[in-house]
Amino acid sequence: MKLTIFNGSPRGKCSNTRSILEPFIDGFMSTEGNSYELAYLIHFELRDEQVALFKNASHVLLAFPLYTDAMPFVVKSFIESLEPLCGEKCNPDIGFIVQSGFPETRHSRYLERYLGKLASRLNCRYKGTVIKGGVEAISMLPLLDNLFLKWFCEFSAFTDFAGVGHLLDKKKLVNSFHELGKEFGVSGEFNKDLVTGLTEPDRISAFSFWAFRFVVHHLYWNLVLRKNNAFAERFARPYIGN
Amino acid sequence: MHITVLNGNPHTDNNAFDGYLGALSNQLESHGHTVTVFTLREMDIKHCIGCWGCWLKTPGECITKDDSSVICREYINSDLVLFASPVIMGFTSALLKKIHDKFVPLIHPYLELVDGEVHHLARYGKYPMMGLLLEKGRDVDQEDLEIITDIYRRDAINFKTTLSFARLTSMPIEEVADEIDHI
Repeated sequence: MKLTIFNGSPRGKCSNTRSILEPFIDGFMSTEGNSYELAYLIHFELRDEQVALFKNASHVLLAFPLYTDAMPFVVKSFIESLEPLCGEKCNPDIGFIVQSGFPETRHSRYLERYLGKLASRLNCRYKGTVIKGGVEAISMLPLLDNLFLKWFCEFSAFTDFAGVGHLLDKKKLVNSFHELGKEFGVSGEFNKDLVTGLTEPDRISAFSFWAFRFVVHHLYWNLVLRKNNAFAERFARPYIGN
Repeated sequence: MHITVLNGNPHTDNNAFDGYLGALSNQLESHGHTVTVFTLREMDIKHCIGCWGCWLKTPGECITKDDSSVICREYINSDLVLFASPVIMGFTSALLKKIHDKFVPLIHPYLELVDGEVHHLARYGKYPMMGLLLEKGRDVDQEDLEIITDIYRRDAINFKTTLSFARLTSMPIEEVADEIDHI
């Protein structure tokens, strides 16, 4: 099977989307005979080539982060360039991966409905949407240079502390997407059980939120704000008044 | 009310849409509102690259200098912001999404729990209501409109407000203006 993959992250090659696509691709390629092509939608100058890639593909995977509760501009602009292909009989099968920084996946459910409708608008067979929350946590880990904090994050990940600790477990994330890609490489479909596992949690408890917020505020945002000498200005309101 | 209209029409040849917004603005001004219209396709707006600079380097402002700062200032000092766009491929235009992504500096990176869901903290004390004005093309059905409205309703939670208005440009201008009067 040949899979055509579009990475729709505005961060391009430095994206969390890439971090989950890489193990997916590794898993997908473990089936003999499989091949793939990968395009970064951030390269607007290659739009015509990207549309041609889509047109000539038999299986497409479009992966991107959630931006302001929808697809980022980069992805919407690509979708608009596919408009001439609407209703064509030979458009590819299509599946989606939507990842976000929010720990719960329910934020992306509203966009999932759009993506299903998009597949039907393009006359593509819809393979489904994989939703993953809390992915920004993997960007945070390399920033920690304090041994105790590193240990704390590893302990939280190992024990899945407060039901959100697993979001700090990059190895688990990588393994999950590797397995998803491997299954996809064999069947050409997303494995439903694996998808269900990835979409947990849909909601989090107040205690889980407290734990998540502690980590995000103190081990990520505040750390970077201080490094950038911007901590004192973090509540700035530069646009008050005309 | 101070109303900001974001014209997300990417097509210079779609005079009907621009004409509708122009007539609506005049109508709203005749009702005593002040109206600012941004024709987004004529502005210099660089797309958001997700660098978090607006949260972690220059809090509250995008580190890329472009016209989005002018729109952000107008946005936060408005009572109502009208997101106006033709429906293209089942959603508001990429042009409108480009500025929408650039409103991230208006909220705070810190998180809070809202009705049991994680959302961002407000950066400002007051946020404008959101409104949606859509031009329905031939390939647009009721489900498309529901999907768009639901996504904007969700987005309003993150932008500390509500989606208080969602209408089509097939509605007479006078009626739209009257509805806005009564928000």
